[in-house]
Amino acid sequence: MSSLNPSRTAASPRAWRELERASRRENWGRAWYKFSHNPLSVVGLITVATIVLLALLAPYVTPYPEHAGPFTDFQNAKQPPSLRHPFGTDVVGRDVFTRTVFGFRFSLTMGVVVLALVVPPGVLLGLLAGYYHGTWVDTLIMRVTDIFLAVPPLILALAIASVLEPNLFNSMLAVSLMWWPWYTRLVYGLTAQMRNEYFTVSAEIMGASRWHILFREILPNCVSPIFTKMSLDMGWVILIGASLSFVGLGVQPPKPGLGTMVANGARYLPDLWWIALFPALAIVVIVLGFNLLGDGLRDLFAAEEI
Amino acid sequence: MPRPLAALIPVLVLVLVAACAAPQQPSAPAPQQAAADAQGAGPATAPETQVLRVSFAWPTHIDPAMGSDFSSATALANLYDTLVFPEPDGGVKPWLAESWETSPDGLTWTFRLRQGVRFHDGSELKASDVVYSMERLLTVGEGFAYLFTGVVERVSAPDDYTVEFVLSQPNGLFLPSLIRLYILNEDRVRANTKAEGPYGENGDYGQEFLQTHDAGSGPYRVVEFPLEEYLLMERFEDWWGEFVPNAPDQFRMIAATEPATVRTLMANRELDISDQWQPIESLEALQQIDGVEVAAFSNMTGFYFMLNNRLPPLDDLHCRRALSYGFDYDTAVSLEWPGTTAMVGPVPKALGGHNPEVMTYPYDPEKAREELAQCRYADTIQDYPIEFVWVSEVPDEEKFALLFQANMAEIGIPVEIVSMPWLSVVENTSKQETSPHLVSIYVSSDLPEAGPLLKQRYHSSTAATWSQNEWLLDPELDAAIDDALATLDPEERFAKYRAIQADLAERAPSIFVYDQVEKHAYQSYVDWPAARGEVIPVMGYNLWAPAIGLDR
Repeated sequence: MSSLNPSRTAASPRAWRELERASRRENWGRAWYKFSHNPLSVVGLITVATIVLLALLAPYVTPYPEHAGPFTDFQNAKQPPSLRHPFGTDVVGRDVFTRTVFGFRFSLTMGVVVLALVVPPGVLLGLLAGYYHGTWVDTLIMRVTDIFLAVPPLILALAIASVLEPNLFNSMLAVSLMWWPWYTRLVYGLTAQMRNEYFTVSAEIMGASRWHILFREILPNCVSPIFTKMSLDMGWVILIGASLSFVGLGVQPPKPGLGTMVANGARYLPDLWWIALFPALAIVVIVLGFNLLGDGLRDLFAAEEI
Repeated sequence: MPRPLAALIPVLVLVLVAACAAPQQPSAPAPQQAAADAQGAGPATAPETQVLRVSFAWPTHIDPAMGSDFSSATALANLYDTLVFPEPDGGVKPWLAESWETSPDGLTWTFRLRQGVRFHDGSELKASDVVYSMERLLTVGEGFAYLFTGVVERVSAPDDYTVEFVLSQPNGLFLPSLIRLYILNEDRVRANTKAEGPYGENGDYGQEFLQTHDAGSGPYRVVEFPLEEYLLMERFEDWWGEFVPNAPDQFRMIAATEPATVRTLMANRELDISDQWQPIESLEALQQIDGVEVAAFSNMTGFYFMLNNRLPPLDDLHCRRALSYGFDYDTAVSLEWPGTTAMVGPVPKALGGHNPEVMTYPYDPEKAREELAQCRYADTIQDYPIEFVWVSEVPDEEKFALLFQANMAEIGIPVEIVSMPWLSVVENTSKQETSPHLVSIYVSSDLPEAGPLLKQRYHSSTAATWSQNEWLLDPELDAAIDDALATLDPEERFAKYRAIQADLAERAPSIFVYDQVEKHAYQSYVDWPAARGEVIPVMGYNLWAPAIGLDR
């Protein structure tokens, strides 16, 4: 707003900005207060923050970073968990803890890249379909969306990932192809509802462009549901990614994918239980963390809207 | 808060499935109870039916002109009879053929057939069936056809019980090769031949029918064969030969190598003999189960990293040698069952005519680097990552893949590991364009001497099969192998084998990893000749059911 009238008075823009900043600080403060009083959300936040930190600093915090690459040490294979190897070692002698931490990297990359790939087109299509509600644009976009939603997600991802060469990028591509319709659906509903709200109508009457209405009036009002969905989706995307790598379509060896590690370790259950158990627990923790965080955010935004 | 919990369900299911797939430790069941368990586990059969259940790596081909791998050879040996039968010492004994004679020039072989042998449909086996079987095998040209291609010129039946083979040149291995000529019921195959097919007036030569049915006279016959699950055979009571008194009534070959599955089946007494592809960890755990033992015996099988000699950078000898010097053989051997030894040259040491003096490539990273420096791809080696394909039904192979990758990283050669189901390996290695840089495969000799294995591995006639990923396509080598196989005098023949091995070893066409020991876990109530040390050194015959007793 302040940028609209920079030259009227010298003092008022600064005052405006001060005011805006103060109210934003207050909003954030209130939000954080609310958020921090939900213990589960805080647990989620801490879990996610820890995992992100571990993943970013993986080469520095893990005891044997070389075990995430081409490495074998059969002398030390199949060691149960100990102080030297907190999660034990696998059948070729690699430290399971190190590989699990590096596995977080690929899982997080998967989540972040997939969401970065799906959210912009999904949201854009939803905005268009919602704004042109009832026209052929709406029909075209939403029927294609329906088709994609009708195919079981894992099956579609499996089909795509197995036709393409198996690697991390292609599995991200496969998951992205099946994920965008959810955002289209979400934003479509919100937009269709908002285009009849007073603020949209008045903007229209004042002669605002469609561009302005879509991106300055409607989109900002969709941001909090989108962010909530993203944080909840993060866990799901990681889970689908792990399922793909469980069947061998994700990260290729010797790079550690959590799903691949579970799949390989399952062969040696129950005697060498640590090889499969720890990566499986890692998946549990990361998915749980993102879901708790997402839930906290949802409660927060829902309360704010009321 | 339903959502986070809902998200966990798949993970929990995953963990649970893995955990449940692992066997419970059986609490030493009483003998009767074990027997009852075993009965309950079998198919819907009468309670007294004794079923031998063995797991295998799939697929299994029961068409005698198609199958050539371990499970196929086992099925074929049980479904069909052959003119001669392999013996533990590597020789052969009369079987459908009661006697035979050779012309002085060694070109004409005349066999007298046993009379009164019945096919599974009750009709009598005649000489014309033998003629038909040989002609069909040569025409279709797959499976074990390579043993006879270019060897047999003509086959005829002067009367109902006499067969005459005319060879194109003398061949020292013709007689033992006949263990791979499975005799088909000509009438039955013709009655089920489709008119349309690639074989002219022979239509499809009965290939579609024989894919899921048998037309044999062997001790067992097909009951049902859902292609991707199992092959169920039942005893053929009118078989002319002898069963041991407690031989199984039915023989069920099961498509399963997944260690967790095999362990559960074994612990529940739902499996009598395991496949030979269980990882060492799995065998050690299987041994802990009450009443389960592990049999290990040499079976003339070599473990090869088959290099595609036509695909850059492996079309350069020095690059291939770099790979050979760069691999840590001792560690590979130490990962295997006791008794495994590093391979010396291109054939297993137990084969007649093995050459112990060939050039070898002991593990030496320094030498590997020197060889790599001489390779014309030395500067661009990073652009040619070696694709290492391992057979996903054989989990132990992944360890060797990872070891190889780590070894190569040391000398600066990039390696990509790909796990591939056996079916796809067979398909990909059948064409030069789809053959990978390297595929790790166990190859068993079909006969107890070096020649046939050399032919199977390196002769042009086998280039488009899974047993050769090298694509040598070298006419001189072909001629040398053919010449050796045609040599009648064993001493002379073995000398020729040795010369071929020396030549091959210098070319480093493959990485010769180790001579395999075949391992199976089995229930101690199985009276199994191979476990007693009566090993027949021919692929498939150690699971010849008429000789296996069940003492449940």
